Amino acid sequence: MLAVITSLILFFAGFHGFAQDQNLSVISNTKGVPDDMKMEDLRSVLKGEKQRWGDGTKVVVALMKTNTPAGSSTLKKIYGMTSDELNKYWLALVFQGKAKAPAFFNSAAELQVFVEQTPGAIGIVDSPGSGNHKKITIDGKKTF
Amino acid sequence: MLMNISWYGSEAQDTQIKGFVDVLTTYQDDKLSFGLGEQDLFITSELTDRITFLGESVFKFGMSPTSFNVSIERIVLKYNFKGNHNILIGKHHTPLNYWNDTYHHGRVFFPTIYRPLLFSSNVIPLHTTGIGVQGENLGKLKLGYDVMAGNGIGSSDISDNDKYKSLTAALHIKPFEKWRVGGSVYYDKISPGFITHHGSADTVDFVITQLIYSGSLSYFGKRFELLTEGSLVTNSMDSIGTTTSVAFYGYGGIKFAKKFTGYARYDLINFDTNEIYFDNDNKMTVLAGIRFQVNYLVVVKLEYQYDESDRNGINNMVTGQVAIGF
Repeated sequence: MLAVITSLILFFAGFHGFAQDQNLSVISNTKGVPDDMKMEDLRSVLKGEKQRWGDGTKVVVALMKTNTPAGSSTLKKIYGMTSDELNKYWLALVFQGKAKAPAFFNSAAELQVFVEQTPGAIGIVDSPGSGNHKKITIDGKKTF
Repeated sequence: MLMNISWYGSEAQDTQIKGFVDVLTTYQDDKLSFGLGEQDLFITSELTDRITFLGESVFKFGMSPTSFNVSIERIVLKYNFKGNHNILIGKHHTPLNYWNDTYHHGRVFFPTIYRPLLFSSNVIPLHTTGIGVQGENLGKLKLGYDVMAGNGIGSSDISDNDKYKSLTAALHIKPFEKWRVGGSVYYDKISPGFITHHGSADTVDFVITQLIYSGSLSYFGKRFELLTEGSLVTNSMDSIGTTTSVAFYGYGGIKFAKKFTGYARYDLINFDTNEIYFDNDNKMTVLAGIRFQVNYLVVVKLEYQYDESDRNGINNMVTGQVAIGF
């Protein structure tokens, strides 16, 4: 009996560990995006509420697809929405002419290339990697 | 999405075509009917870093040789001149209210099957052809504004019918997450012989000064939904004086399962007894329904509607609808 209970505890502990959210990092193009942002401001930018950075560069949002681990964590930590809710949110903004939908990617490498080549682009990844992009701190921290 | 033309990091044009369509079935007066709703196509295109285009066309049943009419609902050129501030030129949804600017023909977004009476009874001018300035999400309160000048009521999409211009001024704030509060004022002088919005044949022989004061409150949360809007319209004529009419609706919804929402709405239109501009038919509607959100592009609704009108008496109707986005 004890073995069964122990197994169940280990199973659910393992399941819980598997379901935990990934740490996320913010990367950006070298133009436009400030080096450090408050979480409140990051959420606002990623919800399409900001059209221009302080230097006038257009804001472009890049996200991992919601069926990837990083995309799933972004949904939870930034948007507080399900995948369907996020898609509906952006479709509504596009229909109203208020914003352009984010670019979605299957891999962090694709997202990174897009961010490096697009002025004003900001993206969320699980690992910031290296390359010709900035690593943005959020409330002074490298990951959230 | 039918087409998406874009290149990473380049200045190339980025164009997307999307759309909405709905099919309906109604049961009324012991008769079951099936019907098409509308097919709404909208195109967005980035022309430059600061200039974007949005076009929207609707195809729906009408009295034409092909039995279908095409209407240009929006053609908007937007120039982002600073931060979250834009200049808009073209044919717009008049930025008077929440429903008009947020849903309009996007039936997959509608919380109910049918539009509120405030919109379907020609109380407010749904479209304005003209120029406007718009700001969004400004400051802590996420203030938004619209100031628009247009051809006004009685005009066509290609020219004004008189020297008067309509003026719209609207403000809204989002003080808390998912909450929005807004208000607006619309001013226009309507010339004799006008044709009302959407082609009603009603005309009058006087110059009418129209003022519309509107307010709205909305909350769309994870579990609860609330949307209420009202408009007070004054029509002033030198020979008759001023009439005051009001239109209002309140909507509430509650999600009772993961993809199911139950909802109800109450609509009321009360025209001044001396009103000569509007079709003077006081109406009241109560409806209740269930919405099944299959996913973000497919919504199924079943709705019961009870109508009372001075002219047509009492009507009951049950409607089922499938609305999709593509």
